Amino acid sequence: MEDLLAGFCAWQMWVLLGLTDIRQRYKRSRFGQFWITFSTGVFVAGIGIVYSYLFNRDIHEYIPYLSINIVFWTFIAGIVTDSIDVFTQAGQYLRHQALPKTAFVMRVLVRQLLVLAHNVVIIAVVFLVFGVPLPNTMPFVLPGLAVLLPAAFLISITIGLLCTRFRDLPQIVHSLLQIAFFLTPIMWQVDQMGERSHYIVNYNPFAIFLMLVTEPLHGRLPGWDIYGRAFAIIMAVALVTAPLFARFRARIVYWL
Amino acid sequence: MPFIRLHNASVVFPIYNSRSRSLRSMLLSRVGGVVKTDGAGTITVQALKGINLELAAGDRLALIGHNGAGKSTLLRVLSGAYEPSTGFAEINGRVSSLLDMTMGMDMELTGAENVILRGVFLGMTIAEARSCMSEVEAFSELGGFMHLPMRTYSSGMRLRLAFAISTVRTPDILLLDEFISVGDEAFARKARRRLEHMIDNSHIMVLASHSPDMLRQYCNRAVLLEGGRIVCDGTVDAVLDRYINNT
Repeated sequence: MEDLLAGFCAWQMWVLLGLTDIRQRYKRSRFGQFWITFSTGVFVAGIGIVYSYLFNRDIHEYIPYLSINIVFWTFIAGIVTDSIDVFTQAGQYLRHQALPKTAFVMRVLVRQLLVLAHNVVIIAVVFLVFGVPLPNTMPFVLPGLAVLLPAAFLISITIGLLCTRFRDLPQIVHSLLQIAFFLTPIMWQVDQMGERSHYIVNYNPFAIFLMLVTEPLHGRLPGWDIYGRAFAIIMAVALVTAPLFARFRARIVYWL
Repeated sequence: MPFIRLHNASVVFPIYNSRSRSLRSMLLSRVGGVVKTDGAGTITVQALKGINLELAAGDRLALIGHNGAGKSTLLRVLSGAYEPSTGFAEINGRVSSLLDMTMGMDMELTGAENVILRGVFLGMTIAEARSCMSEVEAFSELGGFMHLPMRTYSSGMRLRLAFAISTVRTPDILLLDEFISVGDEAFARKARRRLEHMIDNSHIMVLASHSPDMLRQYCNRAVLLEGGRIVCDGTVDAVLDRYINNT
């Protein structure tokens, strides 16, 4: 609990670290951090063209649909992959100074939010190119994010903690994430799956949190059932994370 | 007033990735903590065992011991980075350890950006870190290099910058692993004056060193570490005598 409070108070530290991460990654390239936008853009275009033929979908509808999903999936998947080495990456700091561990979790969130901000440009460009009007449900992305971020914070702590202790876990997380990509309605649409999709959409945490933020952009409001499930997941994760973090917080440095 | 209280503090590292095959060679080694295997077959290194230590304002403690006796681990416990595996450590006061001065610095960033990053880790706000920029620049004598990426620096320049920013603020509790010497002779003199000023103004200072002269000059109390335990606690001269006679 104390760590949490100290972590939030050190906001200047994690904001600065998050910013530095992005700045440093693209320091010596000409387009700098816009490579983030560019590479996601290429991905969306490639997948979009191929799959609109495969699925026999109108490209004018499919690419906007896909771009929204990919951009936010990149955000969610980015948080999961970054939380794997959230503590190992901070080893140099943690070994030498008493620092709140949660500050480094916040750093991951800041870093991924910045990546998201760069990728949102793609959605804007796609909407412009295909002449899609902005849906009036768009502001509802914000409450979705407000629910997504606490969930991301909690799961990040648990993933980071476990992956620091058990060094086989990162590989497992990567594989699971890949499976999740196909089991989440990102490239395909819910109605394509028919009856069966019910299970993999309604009980897939990735799908639930993805829909919280993408549905408003598709012009629909995420229903209360989605919010309800999201809260249930947050509660469940909190019940695991809180005792885990309380018990092993001090042990993290020993595992580095 | 700042104080440090260690009560029966032990530090045990689990080594998950080494196989017990190497155990024999580790047992035969003469440096490092006590190596053990627990029931589950995990190898552990007992770096510190049952440390009782109380430091109050005005204490200038010398840590004496062979390589691997636990000096650095003890310094990290005192800094709060390692919470003891058993026992407890109470640390009251702002700690600054010059154990790794370049901690948190990034080669791709410019000197100026690094000053801010390092400053924030020393507990400053971004604005405060920015305000001591000119002082750091003047002290490190880096001039125009401040705005170049740190990877273009020589190792001496890196240390100068790291030293200048790390010593910009006097902490309550100062931890030193060997007396730092930075740069050429002129700069080293200047650095030494600054460090002495810092030692005088901090409430508690802990210095781990192998140099008897340094320890006599700056410390008023000493402990001798052997295999992770404190075996002797007293005046610097008494503890140094015991250390030298034992070897």
